[in-house]
Amino acid sequence: MADNKNTVLSARGLSVQYAAENPTLTDINLDIAAGEIVGLTGSSGSGKSTLAYALLGLTRRGAQVTGGKIDFDGHDLLALSDEELERVRGRDIALIVQNPRSALHPMYQVGRQISRVYQAHKDSGRTEAQQRAIEMLRLVGINDPERRSDAFVHELSGGMAQRVLIALALSTNPKLLIADEPTSGLDVTVQAQFLDTMWETSRETGTAMVLVTQEPGILANYCDRVIELDAGHVAKDVSASAFISASTKRSTQSPSAVERERQNHEPLLRVEGLRKTFPLRGTKKVVQAVDDVSLSLFAGESVGLVGESGSGKSTVGRCLLKLLEADAGKITFDGQDLAAIGGHTLRKLRQRIQIVQQDPYDSFDPRWSIEKSLLDPLVIHKIASPAEARGVIEESLSRVSVEFSVLSRRPRDLSAGVLQRIAIARALLMKPDFLVLDEPTSMLAPQDRHVILDVLKRLRTELGLSYLLISHDLTSVASACDRVVVMYLGQVVEVGPTVDIFEKPIHPYTKALIGAHLEENPETRRVERLDRVDLEGEIPSPIDLPVGCYLATRCAHATDACHKERQSLSPFSSHHDVRCMRVGQFELDEAS
Amino acid sequence: MIWRFTLRRLAVGLVQLSVLIVAVFFLIRLLPADPVARFVGMNASPEAYALAEQSLGLDLPVTRQFEAFLFGEGNDGGGLFRGELGTSWVTGSSVNQEIRQYLPVTLELITLSFLIAVGLGVPIGVLGAVNPGGAADKGTLVYGLFAGSQPEFSWGIIFIFVFFVVLGIAPGPLGRLSPLTDPPDFVTGAITIDALLAGRVDIFLEALWYLSLPILTLSFVLSGPIIKMVRENVAQTMNADFMFYGQAAGLPRGVLARDALRAAFAPALTLIGILFGFMIGGAVLIESIFSISGLGQYAIRSILAFDYPAIQGVVLTISALTLLIYLAIDVCQALLDPRVSV
Repeated sequence: MADNKNTVLSARGLSVQYAAENPTLTDINLDIAAGEIVGLTGSSGSGKSTLAYALLGLTRRGAQVTGGKIDFDGHDLLALSDEELERVRGRDIALIVQNPRSALHPMYQVGRQISRVYQAHKDSGRTEAQQRAIEMLRLVGINDPERRSDAFVHELSGGMAQRVLIALALSTNPKLLIADEPTSGLDVTVQAQFLDTMWETSRETGTAMVLVTQEPGILANYCDRVIELDAGHVAKDVSASAFISASTKRSTQSPSAVERERQNHEPLLRVEGLRKTFPLRGTKKVVQAVDDVSLSLFAGESVGLVGESGSGKSTVGRCLLKLLEADAGKITFDGQDLAAIGGHTLRKLRQRIQIVQQDPYDSFDPRWSIEKSLLDPLVIHKIASPAEARGVIEESLSRVSVEFSVLSRRPRDLSAGVLQRIAIARALLMKPDFLVLDEPTSMLAPQDRHVILDVLKRLRTELGLSYLLISHDLTSVASACDRVVVMYLGQVVEVGPTVDIFEKPIHPYTKALIGAHLEENPETRRVERLDRVDLEGEIPSPIDLPVGCYLATRCAHATDACHKERQSLSPFSSHHDVRCMRVGQFELDEAS
Repeated sequence: MIWRFTLRRLAVGLVQLSVLIVAVFFLIRLLPADPVARFVGMNASPEAYALAEQSLGLDLPVTRQFEAFLFGEGNDGGGLFRGELGTSWVTGSSVNQEIRQYLPVTLELITLSFLIAVGLGVPIGVLGAVNPGGAADKGTLVYGLFAGSQPEFSWGIIFIFVFFVVLGIAPGPLGRLSPLTDPPDFVTGAITIDALLAGRVDIFLEALWYLSLPILTLSFVLSGPIIKMVRENVAQTMNADFMFYGQAAGLPRGVLARDALRAAFAPALTLIGILFGFMIGGAVLIESIFSISGLGQYAIRSILAFDYPAIQGVVLTISALTLLIYLAIDVCQALLDPRVSV
């Protein structure tokens, strides 16, 4: 617990309740010291966000603070009048929320939104406030802040909008910053850059911070102390390292037996030169979703497909099932060319390749019971007679460790984690050889994520199932895949065994991506690493792509040739391919 | 930016109008109607019929007629391109003048009705949203069911019955002024404005008095959708993340209220504009019930008399006005909301 002198905020016996429901928060006690970064965690529904807002004396509509006090700066916030609270909020305690694009007013320029908050609290003139807004935008790493301050929120990317929000929050030099899952929805590289900025700013200005998050990676890398909530109570209040070492350690997948005789066998799936563009309506331009993707996957192997949003991962997944027709390239599954088949043969083949989508609530009919949803494919494909069906379904469910009692339920009665496992069970009904998993864990809480990954690993051992795991979450891929394919702007930039990719990445993009990966280990905090490889700027638009290497504009190693010449994926060592003409030369750069 | 947007929209509007001109002109002539017979009577001699046909210009091939409609006949200085809508076959006077006379009557009626409907509907809608389940909200719900349950003309008749026949507190449906009062000089055509221009406050008040029931009827029907729309928008905005965030950033309450109204107002504006455009032609039943000779009445009369130039004139006027109103809404939208692409 923090020393009394340095305590910025302390809450005693805080309780919050939504009308006519059980209390959301009961008797919360916590202290936050000056300059301290406190992680606030807990499963969804545990009351994290409610507590974060309550620390501002704020509740969502329908909720009410029912008791307790919050000492801040010599006052009890809960005893202040609305006008007095207005003055504290935004000036002394600032908030960042998880959806920056909807938190900013859609009809005012973002610079104006920063300056009017500054004006409201600092008694400054309009010009001074505008200058402050631009200064803050520059501080949070926005290029050309003079121009950007005139932008409206719909013109900004999620990462940029989040920076605007932090600029707004910090413009008044608050004593305490409360950040409610500020990076959910951001790509890993953007997330890391953003959290770095926030961490550095907090350290420079001495601002204390409450960081609400479910990600153990973020807790380990950025927090000093962790408070865990469970059903509205404080379950733990310990140092970050104590918190992480208490939670189960997870290891990176060691190279499994799949290295076995790869040369001797034809791969189960082979993709060569896959290309897919989408026309832009009203123009002759196209969006290049997939530019040049080649990959292969052997029976019993699990491959991870990683990259940031917009890199074309999901499009590749859909082309594999022929849900999308590729523009060019060849996909061979078990010796059959996908382009050449149709009708009955395609239907038969699709039984062998199944897909699991990102949002389980979207992939089940909300009006159907789970039983009906699972029975339907069995009937359509005439896999089991009605008499056998129940047995097949139960076998499938037990493979994903879901109780049979769910059969009578409807999707909305189940949690996302359970429903996603049922989605996997549904795919298994077809007795597939190969599963495409499109971001299966990104909607789930970390605990549910681990369960899904365990299920996947088990299925591989038990059934010899192969799968392609499409994910932007490197932790999932690290723990469940033998090999990793890294995509950037529709191209494969690096392919290799998981261990190599994570420990010895070659391509500058992979290096940055892996560097942005927040390991659940407080000993190797990202902010304390000196050898970070960060990319500059933002991802180029997939409509007007650069001529040469797509990364050249953001790469520290780029030469003139990189800007002009198209790069090809070439072997770096056995089983490890890299798309970079300067492979092997960076070490020279770094040494000099 | 906004100028280019406006110009582009105007250009599109002109194209739409041109298509409409062609469509209206030829569609009327496809009607299985014989305006000449209507004009000279069923028992006219063939000579008289031929003469009448000639005088109406209906003896010419249809393409020639269209040419005459666009460019005028010979050197009479008429034609649509000179802004002339032709001569009414029934009255023999210029369609332009007749529309000039009837349009302001309708515009006056619906503008006043909208002022009242918006003036009452917006605050009531906001109240309902701010205090859901409160008196204003519940009243609105009942009223919404009630007002929407019957068309405006039946409300008109009910109001006449209640306020004029039973209670005797409202004037009868005798037009815009007492038949005994001399109307003010014709300037704008809107009687309230003309009365004020003539310095006759007594006539101004009398006109308002006589217009009270038609205005009550129209605004009663119109405020239903306006209240609902405003209520929904304001409720949605108040639950929006940016309002919550504004509160968390300690913005003063006045600023927050302005933020909410700005976000809520844009969609409501569209509805009001569409209703207004619709009412220019749609107030006809109210005009009939209250004996107000507005554009709708004129349209009905022209249609029943197969008065082609007048029908064309009315359709084009209503369309052009509607297009202008939609354009005005779009421009306001674009000024209010940067997300509307300009």
